[in-house]
Amino acid sequence: MAQPPLIAGRKLVPTSTLDLAKYPFTPQAADHVQKLDLKITELDSPEYSRIVERAKKRIEESILYALVSDQTRNDEIEILSFPIAVMMVAAANDPFLKRRYALAEAKRAYNILKQENRQKLTEVAQVFEWKIKPVKADADALMPQATIADFTIHFTNYLKNTGGFHESKWKLVNRAMLNGEVYLTKDEAARLLAEEVRSHLEEKLNIKIDITLPHTIVEEAEKLKQLFLSRKGKIRQEEMPKETTIEAFPPCIRQLYNMAQTGHHISHIGRFALTSFLINSGMPVENVIECFRPASDFSERMTRYQVEHIAGGRGSRTKYIPPRCDTLRTHGVCPGMDEICRKVRHPLAYYRRKLRIIKAQAPTPAASA
Amino acid sequence: MSVNKIQTQEFIQQKFAEYYKQNYDSIQPPTSLEKREFAFLLFKERTMLRHKGFKTSEDFKNFLQSVTPSDVYYSSAYYEKPEEEMDAKAWIGADLIFDIDADHIPTPCKKQHDTWTCKNCATSGHGAKPEKCPKCTGQKFEDVSWPCDICLGSAKEETINLIDVLEKDFGLSQRVMNLAFSGHRGYHVHIESEAIRTLDSIARKEIVDYMLGLGLEPALQGFEKETGPRLEDSGWRGRIAKGTYEFLLSATQEQLENAGLKKKTAVQILQQRERILESWKEKGPWKTLRGVGPDGWQKIIRKSIEKQSVRIDTVVTTDIHRLIRLTNTLHGETGFKKIEVSMGEIERFDPFKSAVAFKHGTVVVAVSDAPQFRLNDNIYGPYKNQRIELPTAVAMLLLCKGAAKIAEETVYVQ
Repeated sequence: MAQPPLIAGRKLVPTSTLDLAKYPFTPQAADHVQKLDLKITELDSPEYSRIVERAKKRIEESILYALVSDQTRNDEIEILSFPIAVMMVAAANDPFLKRRYALAEAKRAYNILKQENRQKLTEVAQVFEWKIKPVKADADALMPQATIADFTIHFTNYLKNTGGFHESKWKLVNRAMLNGEVYLTKDEAARLLAEEVRSHLEEKLNIKIDITLPHTIVEEAEKLKQLFLSRKGKIRQEEMPKETTIEAFPPCIRQLYNMAQTGHHISHIGRFALTSFLINSGMPVENVIECFRPASDFSERMTRYQVEHIAGGRGSRTKYIPPRCDTLRTHGVCPGMDEICRKVRHPLAYYRRKLRIIKAQAPTPAASA
Repeated sequence: MSVNKIQTQEFIQQKFAEYYKQNYDSIQPPTSLEKREFAFLLFKERTMLRHKGFKTSEDFKNFLQSVTPSDVYYSSAYYEKPEEEMDAKAWIGADLIFDIDADHIPTPCKKQHDTWTCKNCATSGHGAKPEKCPKCTGQKFEDVSWPCDICLGSAKEETINLIDVLEKDFGLSQRVMNLAFSGHRGYHVHIESEAIRTLDSIARKEIVDYMLGLGLEPALQGFEKETGPRLEDSGWRGRIAKGTYEFLLSATQEQLENAGLKKKTAVQILQQRERILESWKEKGPWKTLRGVGPDGWQKIIRKSIEKQSVRIDTVVTTDIHRLIRLTNTLHGETGFKKIEVSMGEIERFDPFKSAVAFKHGTVVVAVSDAPQFRLNDNIYGPYKNQRIELPTAVAMLLLCKGAAKIAEETVYVQ
């Protein structure tokens, strides 16, 4: 089977089939699969049924539990079912399912990795070309004081895999870092490595490959997609209401909004945050432009151009969303947090949450009657 | 535009053209020339000519000669197609850039040399521009900021701190760092390294937060109940200790209270200075200091983080499409050149000598208003409505700043 390796990195040694079953996303596992000369066009034949079953199971588990189980009883099935599951998810072609499947496989990898010894974890990390070193507990004279750590990784590897994490312990400023190396416990290293697996797998799922899967397999993939969509409906976020509710603005946007209303100067990033927030809260472009009118240097033409650009009506046609809370903090736009701020990471998440609260407090028609 | 103003602008551009002609060899385009976007601020139109790309060093230099812009920039980013619109450029990566600008550092001298003028009613004043004009409540100002020894000295100090963190914490060698004086109010540190090139904006924001100490949780950097970091610790732990050391031993009662401490606590701290100093020989003052509760400690730590943070421009570093001034080109607001500073020389580096681009001749100018300033080893000004013959570099600074015009009878002799 002409399956390109997931990643082209260094060799994972030694490569027992057990290791390949644990880490089916490595190039070594892909090599192994290639040698078996699997016929994709014959995937619907009975000899492959157990493998296809496991592939289906992998996807199903990801949909239902956001976690692929760790079944290492039959290594060959485990190894082969992975690329097939990947092809099926790619064929189903739903961006949310792709994301969920990648996440579930990454969680599986995390659960296995955190139980490995340092040597093995290092080897897997090196497959992804990480600069990683096991820390010798008491022999590391350079190690920052009172740090408990099993590994150091280069700060670029660290930053590339913590972008989506929001707990303050993951912020670089809160880590022990010396000479470009960030100190990590084994559990943390496994977590970051799982994140690496997730992003690589997601990338892989988005590559268009020209493979024709047998009809029945495509049907199976379609069924799984339907299962996913029916589940997704339950967790779908509420739609934004049509009217913008100023009372539900987070402190940062409220301050920017007041500044605009009173004609104060607003920084570039502040203007971007306010405009994109208002657009996303459902305010029509015309009304957003009006917000900026009190400024002494107001130019309708310039403002319209910028607002329409942010609303996705010009240039790249992308509709922009406001920056995240921590970005606003970095650039000095955050005026300080309130209770709700502590629970969210994005101004729009604040807005949705506050809207729910306002709605819950409002007297219902029955009560007011 | 008055005839005089046009003459002045033409004079500046003529001098710039001479500079670019005479320094043809010393102006080198950046690495990976064909993957960079170039931008030029034009003298006459005052618009930015963007999305330019060049294949060879000669193409670039010849363009520079033929256009003579007031400012020359190139992208910190590498693109597959640098000449396309932003969306079609195909971003490959970007160098990591730090900008330390005296504008971000409060210095007392700004009151003396910086001025603003309301665009609406022409009211003017000294120091940083106000939010609203005190006379007409207008909000648009023409502000003139002057580079001065104190401002640039503090920017230099921040730059030294920045390099220290980049080396010790981030493990970056001086080999990959390029340090330069911007030609106006600060310093640039430019890092070209394969490992860093593909970091996205979110990752770079984490680097910025690290420099600022933003989001730092003292509990995660060794500060717990009755224990804290030591002076010799590395990274932010050591910096918290150093900041605390400095603050507790040097702050006045007023400064302690300004940090949010109660008057009683501030007085108690002042009385215990001997003990505090002594405590650093052991485990630090965390346990021994009397009269400071957990809340008080939080405030002290906040202040120590503030003291140790490196005041960089947050936008420049997080922007992965940033345009940056090219080394050895002229700064349109000063007539100085952006100049590389070798790492070992920074302490001794004198921007008011090294960045001087126009070294010969004199020019007669009519100065309207300028504070006192230094260039090379001489002090000039303050000037107020006077006609004076000055060395070319001095005249250029005044002309570029808009503080002077070419004197009408001046016949420029080469």
